[in-house]
Amino acid sequence: MSAPGPAPPALSTERLTVRFDGKAVLRDVSIEIPLGRVVSIIGPAGSGKTTLLRSFNRMNELIPGAKTAGKVHFRGVDLYAAEIDPAEVRRRIGMVFQEATLFPKSVFDNVAFGLRAKGVEGDLHGLVEEALTVVGLWSGGAEVLDARALDLTAGEQRRLSIARALALKPDCLLLDEPTAALDPAASAKVESIIHALRHECTIVLATSDHTQAGRLSDLTAFLDSGRLMEYGATQELFTNPRNERTESYLTGRLP
Amino acid sequence: MTATALSRSAGNPPSPGERFGKHVLFTCAALSALLGAAVIVVVALETVRFFGQVSPARFFGGLTWTPLAEEPGFGVLPLVAGTAQIAAGATLLALPVGLLTAVFLRYYASGRTASVLNAVVTLLACIPAVVYGYFALNYVTPAIRSVWPGVEGFNGISACLVVGLMILPTIVLLSREALGAVPNSLLEEGVALGATRRRVLVRLVVPAAAIGIAGSVVMAAARAVGETMIVTLAAGNPTGPTWNPLEGVRTLTTFLAQASLGDIPAGSIEYGACFAVAAVLFLLTCGMHAAGGALMARGQRGNPGAARS
Repeated sequence: MSAPGPAPPALSTERLTVRFDGKAVLRDVSIEIPLGRVVSIIGPAGSGKTTLLRSFNRMNELIPGAKTAGKVHFRGVDLYAAEIDPAEVRRRIGMVFQEATLFPKSVFDNVAFGLRAKGVEGDLHGLVEEALTVVGLWSGGAEVLDARALDLTAGEQRRLSIARALALKPDCLLLDEPTAALDPAASAKVESIIHALRHECTIVLATSDHTQAGRLSDLTAFLDSGRLMEYGATQELFTNPRNERTESYLTGRLP
Repeated sequence: MTATALSRSAGNPPSPGERFGKHVLFTCAALSALLGAAVIVVVALETVRFFGQVSPARFFGGLTWTPLAEEPGFGVLPLVAGTAQIAAGATLLALPVGLLTAVFLRYYASGRTASVLNAVVTLLACIPAVVYGYFALNYVTPAIRSVWPGVEGFNGISACLVVGLMILPTIVLLSREALGAVPNSLLEEGVALGATRRRVLVRLVVPAAAIGIAGSVVMAAARAVGETMIVTLAAGNPTGPTWNPLEGVRTLTTFLAQASLGDIPAGSIEYGACFAVAAVLFLLTCGMHAAGGALMARGQRGNPGAARS
């Protein structure tokens, strides 16, 4: 099942299978994420959405007992090849976790963390302020930089975690349930940020809210029990699903 | 209370056997509490009596501890200084090794390595102090003297090294517990931002566990303060001033061990002095235990993600 679209894929998997302690969480998933698009991954809880996201930036290997088979490519480069530095992979392919764990430091230090780890020298204020501007946390006042990250509201914390990933200017951004547990106003803000980011990078987002997938993404993939059931243009998949399981899920007949 | 009431309402009043069992348990619990209290009361009474003969100012302010001399000195500070010297030296030696071992166990060791290392650390905790003491006297001290001939046969360095080894398991196991309270997501977030595991551990994870680790260090230092056998065997029990770690060192505990061997008549001033020293030792270790426990509890609370990890 290859995606439509003329651009070469930013990310692609070939027969990707991920097991945790022998139990397959993803089975034989082959998917292409076209450059510069927003792709949603939808599916019931436990269908492997997060695991698929995490296989794009090699985060699964942090979990003891995780085994990855198959291929993952980033612009044609095998991400799991021996000579690839996983830290570099994660800088190019940023990730925002479902439950952001901010560092118990200032807003500035949170955003600067990745830059410092990368070895960026000199004054980081410009880069930090730029990232904060994109997520609407920077209005020119220095006090926000010194604020403790953990004192921010839930919505601001989520946006800060996006800014933290954006500071590295990634080619791709992986968002896991970007608006989970946020109130409608905070969710709307995050969605408008994602909408604006479509011009900056390729975005893959996992969401259990398929109306969000409908609002934000060009393409949508439906995962069920670790298998890619259907993948195509969001509009098409929502109005005319080819797969029976997809239809059941979209109409609320699957949990 | 509610649970008891509910189970009784099921129609089974407590049988005589059950009532008897409860009485036995209560008696045992009461007995241990009573004995503990008795020790404290005796120490406190003897200490108060001692302070009737030697003023607290002389005891806490004096700089010589020579209770058996013609003109006895009852200044406890030299003993406290000796204790501090051994405990601080041992803790400073054990902290880096213990902390690195805890980090390794929590974040690097795979299943098999971890279980072997765990077994070794637990084994260290099982070795009797007297065995450590002989190890210090017969192996560590000769080794030190072979590279540094100026060191005396009884010396503080050997005691620090081996007491450090003895308290290592405390630091390893309690620091690992403190690290366990840091949510895994902190490590994942840092790594996802392109930092190496080592960098995330050093910059984020260990600092997040710092309070709990400090607690583990205080607990370990409390053990070092109370350690008697190793220090007696390794550092001797000199009667002179003890400021030089290359020479023997006398501590609160080694003085008490030595005093218990001699024949100090009950009721004498010297006899009272022993209880006053015991009281200082008791307050010191108790206070450190309480402080260490409080720090560890605060470390657990300060990492609310513990339940999630």
